[in-house]
Amino acid sequence: MVHLSSLLLKKYHGGHVVIRLALAGHKQANRPFYRIVAAYNKRARDGRYIEQLGSYDPLPNIYNEKLVSFNFDRLKYWIGCGAHPTKPVAKLLGLAGFFPLHPMTITEAERQRVQTEKTETNTDMCQVTLDNTQVTI
Amino acid sequence: MFQVIGGRSVPAARLLAPRSAVLVEAVRGRKSRTDPVAKSKEGRIKVPPPVDPVEMVVLKERYTEYQLIMSALRLEFKEEVLRKKYEEETGSQAEERVRQEAEEHRSLMAWNNEENLRMLKARILRVQQEAEEAQRKKIEAAIQREQEQQEFIKEKEREILQLQEEVKNFITVENLDQRIEEALDNPKNYNFAIDKEGRVVKQTALQ
Repeated sequence: MVHLSSLLLKKYHGGHVVIRLALAGHKQANRPFYRIVAAYNKRARDGRYIEQLGSYDPLPNIYNEKLVSFNFDRLKYWIGCGAHPTKPVAKLLGLAGFFPLHPMTITEAERQRVQTEKTETNTDMCQVTLDNTQVTI
Repeated sequence: MFQVIGGRSVPAARLLAPRSAVLVEAVRGRKSRTDPVAKSKEGRIKVPPPVDPVEMVVLKERYTEYQLIMSALRLEFKEEVLRKKYEEETGSQAEERVRQEAEEHRSLMAWNNEENLRMLKARILRVQQEAEEAQRKKIEAAIQREQEQQEFIKEKEREILQLQEEVKNFITVENLDQRIEEALDNPKNYNFAIDKEGRVVKQTALQ
């Protein structure tokens, strides 16, 4: 028989609490679902957590929405106790309005915009050249 | 390094062209530290993604601002947590709660004491009654025993008297000859006949 108490009462040396996304164990291929969770740093990603503070569904639903939920009261408590949020959690919270908007979100958006503008101009140029060639022909 | 698996979860392409004898699946960390570099990657120099200096400056500014706001938020939340704890322990509510709990405790203790007194009285009564019952029973038992003794004595006396009366009819050494003579002179016939209806007939053939 496995001695369960030692697995549950692990003592970590110099660990801290993090707020991160943990994959909820639905055991379905190609259908992820994340729990926003306060856990110790050294624990496995999907292992035992201290408290669940929300959820995040990365796949959009029938109305093209990605649903996120937060328990702001407990979030404030954990951040006040010194928990570190991870990058994706910080980005989500920034989009939600609880944190300031993450710099990388803004830069990614700017890059995306530049990219789309470039592709638009390219297609316009292609269209223009096509018309020109047609005209010449 | 390689993980050997059964045939079910392997895609078709790998099924059709396995070079090795057993079916193998790619697992993270394929190569161990002693495996050589692949031929296609021999002269490869890993280069980090290019950095746009303008964007980098802007990004650094944004990051400083973000970190400022984040640290301020953290301090705010910490203060809130501490304040909540403080109020929980030594707030206005806490005193009232303590007072109410003390009052409740006192009232409950008073009720408990009353209950104890009541039970004590009931118990005393019960014990008294039981003692009286026991006394009475003892007395009754004693009387009964006395009576039985008396009856026993009377019974014995009656037997003695009866025996004394029977002594007169006993056969002793002096009466022996006389009684033998008497018995021989008076033959007694104990024979009788009886039929199914219960009629007794004492007259029989003597001998």
